[in-house]
Amino acid sequence: MHEMSIVQSLLEQVRSFMPGRAVLKDVHLEVGGLEHLDGEVMQTVFTALTDGSELAGAALRIVRIPVRIRCRSCGHEYEPEDTAVLLCPECGVVQPEILQGTGVLLKSLEIEERSD
Amino acid sequence: MEIPVVENVLKHNDQFAQLNRQTLREAGVRCLNLIGSPGCGKTTLLEKTLSALGGEMPVGVLTGDIATTRDAQRLARHCRAVSQINTGGGCHLDANQVREGMGRLPLKELKLLIVENVGNLICPVGFDLGHDAKVGMFSVPEGDDKPAKHPRLVLESDLLLLNKTDLLPHVPFDLDGFRRDLAAIREDASLLELSASSGDGLEAWLEWVRAFVAAPRASAAPAAP
Repeated sequence: MHEMSIVQSLLEQVRSFMPGRAVLKDVHLEVGGLEHLDGEVMQTVFTALTDGSELAGAALRIVRIPVRIRCRSCGHEYEPEDTAVLLCPECGVVQPEILQGTGVLLKSLEIEERSD
Repeated sequence: MEIPVVENVLKHNDQFAQLNRQTLREAGVRCLNLIGSPGCGKTTLLEKTLSALGGEMPVGVLTGDIATTRDAQRLARHCRAVSQINTGGGCHLDANQVREGMGRLPLKELKLLIVENVGNLICPVGFDLGHDAKVGMFSVPEGDDKPAKHPRLVLESDLLLLNKTDLLPHVPFDLDGFRRDLAAIREDASLLELSASSGDGLEAWLEWVRAFVAAPRASAAPAAP
């Protein structure tokens, strides 16, 4: 369960990008399909850590990035339905190179200028 | 208004990992990140490894646990350069904790640093520590379905170990199924089957470690595994 430390890092990053007179509305995050992170737990932690702070009320928007593989034997690229079965649908060999599906990326912030 | 960012959330960890990699490189130390479940036999394997290799090469160990210094005490009987990292509840080691741990070891005297991660097949996999290779460890009592349930560890490990093979006659474990599941994720996965406590298969592991320490480093720093 490392959602807590990931969300803490995320919030540090978010704060470093926030202009002074702004209200945070949305945080857009991309999470790779091979990352062992539970979206619901991240939401709970995000709410708990922003509540009562200047970021209170902001929403965490998570997009899961599908795992994408390149076969090292024939070069075919595919997205496996089950990450425990990675054989190439083209040549039947199991020599996967992960092209996409790891990492946690802060994509963008949605903010509103403070009116007061 | 949208502010585009596009930044890795693990940026700070990865920066520390690169620093660790550079420090280890300058000191001429090769580093292994050992990942496995609680109770799979990581510490027993390290006791046997230190006792066998101690006369050949100086080895240091950083051992991670939520609490206690029991592992460090066990390993200190076989090696002087041991330091415990207590995460206080954290489920994995991060690169900054390893950096602090490295500071407590006589790095320049070592040839090999083994980081025994917190017992967990899940969280440690996503954190680069600055290691040169990752070793994923399973054991027979955990059941034969662990590779299928933890494909990322299989995909990212340079070597996989199946420990406690001495228990194969006593517990339900489909060894062929285990091997098949590994091959369904990666047919070129390197697997060593051993029993750290009985010593069966241990020599192949020691040979792998010797070859790993002797192997020349890649010229460029490897990408974060």
